[in-house]
Amino acid sequence: MRRLFLILGNDVRRHLKAPLVVAIFIVIPLAMTGLIGVVFGPRTEGSQLPPIAVLLVDHDKNLVSKFLLGAFDVDQMKKMFQVTVTDEPEGRKRMEAGKASAMVVIPERFTLDLLEAKPTTLLVVKNPAEQFLPDVVEEFMNTLAVILSGAIQAFAEEARGIRAMIDSPLASISWEALGPELGKAQKKMTSAEKYLNPLLIRLREEETQAAGARTRFTQADLFSIILPGMAIMFLLFIVQTLMRDILSERDDGKLRRMLTTPLRPLELIGARLLGGWVMGVAVLLVMVGVGTLIFRVTWGPFGYFLILGGTASFWTAAFFALFYALVRNRNQAGALGAPIILAFSLFGGSMMNPEAMPKAFRAVGILTPNRWFIDGAAAVRDGRFPLASLVILAGTGLILLALAVPALGRRTSV
Amino acid sequence: MAWNDLRIMVGDKVFFFWTLAFPILFIVVFGLLYKASGNAPAVAELTVVNLDQGRWGAYFVDKIKSPGIDVVLAASEPAGYNRLLVLPADFSEKIEARRDQALAFKKRSDASTKAAARVETRLYQAIARVISELVLYGGADLKQFWDGHPEFRDLVLVKSQFPENTVTVVPSGFDHSVPGTTVQFIMMMVLIYGGITVMEERKKGILGRMLFSPLSTGELFQAKLLGRWLMGLLQALMLIVVGKIFFRLNLGSFSLSFLVIAVFALAMAALSVFIGSLCTKEDMIIGLAVLGSNIFAALGGCWWPNEIVSPAIRKAAMVSPAYWAMDALHKLTFFRGGPADILPHLGILLALSIVLAVVAGRHFKIRD
Repeated sequence: MRRLFLILGNDVRRHLKAPLVVAIFIVIPLAMTGLIGVVFGPRTEGSQLPPIAVLLVDHDKNLVSKFLLGAFDVDQMKKMFQVTVTDEPEGRKRMEAGKASAMVVIPERFTLDLLEAKPTTLLVVKNPAEQFLPDVVEEFMNTLAVILSGAIQAFAEEARGIRAMIDSPLASISWEALGPELGKAQKKMTSAEKYLNPLLIRLREEETQAAGARTRFTQADLFSIILPGMAIMFLLFIVQTLMRDILSERDDGKLRRMLTTPLRPLELIGARLLGGWVMGVAVLLVMVGVGTLIFRVTWGPFGYFLILGGTASFWTAAFFALFYALVRNRNQAGALGAPIILAFSLFGGSMMNPEAMPKAFRAVGILTPNRWFIDGAAAVRDGRFPLASLVILAGTGLILLALAVPALGRRTSV
Repeated sequence: MAWNDLRIMVGDKVFFFWTLAFPILFIVVFGLLYKASGNAPAVAELTVVNLDQGRWGAYFVDKIKSPGIDVVLAASEPAGYNRLLVLPADFSEKIEARRDQALAFKKRSDASTKAAARVETRLYQAIARVISELVLYGGADLKQFWDGHPEFRDLVLVKSQFPENTVTVVPSGFDHSVPGTTVQFIMMMVLIYGGITVMEERKKGILGRMLFSPLSTGELFQAKLLGRWLMGLLQALMLIVVGKIFFRLNLGSFSLSFLVIAVFALAMAALSVFIGSLCTKEDMIIGLAVLGSNIFAALGGCWWPNEIVSPAIRKAAMVSPAYWAMDALHKLTFFRGGPADILPHLGILLALSIVLAVVAGRHFKIRD
């Protein structure tokens, strides 16, 4: 046992002398977490989307088109849309260059047609390279269209009056006759106010989660979701790199020389396994520390997380022990190792939210350590003990270990 | 020599995994993901719990219904839903008394935001329709509303289209994921494969031995650069062909798209020779390549549409070579752009290639 710990200590010292590679592999998940968190994190401005560039072409230049322009000028809309009024040739040029998310074209006679209660059409030209923002503009215009349609119908008589006034010379308007009409309009306005101020039917929005728990979602919450997935992916990469000694020592003859000493093969195997495990836990702890300090990541009860991290590291060490026992040489290990890790990560939810994946991919995901670690970390974050994840990771880890030790024993004695 | 480098790489079965099989897996996953999240489900689901004791609840639900919304009625709040609207028991009573009310609209945070936005918009439209009818109806007793009332008419319609001379059909998820994955994997694989082979050939003395041939150091550098460039081109060609055959990829002008990728691959080839000349460990090259290519790919719009990121990040993205390649490909793919549209992009990528090639040439080492 003493010899096992001596080898382990020596290995750890050796790796600490050249920490650059491990450091790079620790930096990658942290950098990726930071980037994804900054891009997708909740924004302080209240809107989840950046300001949407909209071009507005007004061929009407009349009463109702002014109302439409005004709708974009309300405080809430100003935050959401960045409107530029332009002419059609310039607007089309800019749309064809992809300089805006959408262009709204108000047709000629828009006001007159509406005042005459004739159907009219607004055109929304959408940026084909964008997937979300043009649709937001289209939906907003649809809502404005309904409001305008309703307003025109509600004040149809008044609209007809205004229409008549637009075409009539000022001198021909009978101001005496306007009095009762204005009185009627005032009554309607007063009546409408009952429905509009405050709005008769409003929506009280609420964001819920499946468990019906928390509704507020902060950037730290997002980091807390992303980092465990990234951490397990790069834990696999790091342990793979560290445990490559199993192969390289065999290839370059170190192993043969070591076995001329009183060392037993089992002690060597134990040292390599323990080394992978201990270094894995150490790497995870560094990620936990940096994640907490930089991203304010919450991990839940630390003891639970430590048990989960320790079990995941054990699984990883056992897996790569078996892997290195089965591959023939470094080239084969290099060729197969990274694809396996990337496949684990892709299907297991390290690269994307498993909920967003196709069902078949999610089913494959349960065969990966990433998925169980991510699920376990989520459970710990919610304050629960990650029993299912621990049972699966520890159980399959033990099976891998049981297969790896005799296989490595055979390779070591060669 | 460049041809020989390419032949050796192609002879490695793993090369095909990394340059073809794995990127295709990415294309499929991200293509489906773009489809699922970018374009909301064809029909957005809304669960409605109508507890209303009168007739207004059902009337309001009718106003919500549209081809894009699947209204599912439930007696009580179900455990599983994506979006839920609750009409309270006194919904009609309050309307008839002309008393304002707020309806609970619950959205699951993990459900499609686009579908939620579609439903929400429809709800606002339904509210606008009902209120318009109420205003039209006037101040009379609302209990008599059902005996006869004016119907809402859509006087203002909205028609949407893409700009002229651009695409005519809605781009699929694969139209986004194929170029993104191609750019990302060219970056990653040229850097990893190209860098490692330069380093190994130097460490094993292969580069040194090559100088016994009539080659000069400069020619050796050019050959290494060319070999890695050819590798990037081959990878791009394979992915584009697969994209065209299996995912109906439409890149607009094939020759211009390939030109963009070629100039981008040249920059990456130069960077790979530079990394291979500087680094002495394989793992370090892999680490740097993975770090750099992932960050540049994410910033450059290979992973998600750049439209959703903040203007500050969009500006920062300009430091990524992937940004210029992706933006040029978007211009060609979605806007059916011509040479003039991508000239600035080509200029920037070419300038980057020249700078990187000069730097790589100066640091190119034959021996450690």
